[in-house]
Amino acid sequence: MTAGIVGAMVVGAALAGVGAFAAAWRRDLTAALAGIPLMFAGAGVAFAGIARFGTAGGPQLFGQGFAVLLAVAALALVALGIGIAGREATR
Amino acid sequence: MDSLHAIGFYVSSGISLAGGLGVALLPLRVHRGIAMGVAGLGLAGIYLTLSAGFAAAVALLCYAGCAALIAGPQYRSLQVVGAPLWRQVGALGAAALLALLAYSAFRGDFVHASFFGGTWGAASVGRLLLAHDAIATEAVAALILVALAGAATAWRLRERVR
Repeated sequence: MTAGIVGAMVVGAALAGVGAFAAAWRRDLTAALAGIPLMFAGAGVAFAGIARFGTAGGPQLFGQGFAVLLAVAALALVALGIGIAGREATR
Repeated sequence: MDSLHAIGFYVSSGISLAGGLGVALLPLRVHRGIAMGVAGLGLAGIYLTLSAGFAAAVALLCYAGCAALIAGPQYRSLQVVGAPLWRQVGALGAAALLALLAYSAFRGDFVHASFFGGTWGAASVGRLLLAHDAIATEAVAALILVALAGAATAWRLRERVR
């Protein structure tokens, strides 16, 4: 059993698809917001997979760094959305 | 990648996808938060098997924070009044996106591109965006600025009507 760049890209595509499904399917806006970190996770898996398998002998840190940036951006986006929802709730 | 890492990769992928489906389908916010944590755990496992240990640690922390925020009681639900047809259209669009991305993953050799930045890295991408493709970058930045200004204006108009 082995895993390569195609496996990483398919897993990333599946995560992005599940995130898009969550964002489209939920009627609650704050619940739909939770789909966006999943899409970011899919993109991060694709970046990390390309960094692992696609850069033969080259630097891997760029894809991994972008995956880290996407994870932090996902947290910031959820915090911003929840903050706006909390502000709406206090009205 | 040896067999042990491959098994870890696929098991972590299954855990992450199961968590993602839980985020999409579970009804209670506490359950959705737990599902987000499970998805983050699986994502960290994927990064670990891809030799990205630091990214795994950061992803674990960030998605645990996302899970805590989603499961927390400090916001109320904002229901969207819309036809169920649009939700179904959105779900079908997500399925189409998945099919397109999976096809692109399997047939990734159908497109070829040239990279003008030299060695792949942050500095070369910066040179590419700010020198070689500067006009396109400026156009995208202008579009984003117009979109953000339009969204802010629409929001302020709606608040004024309230």
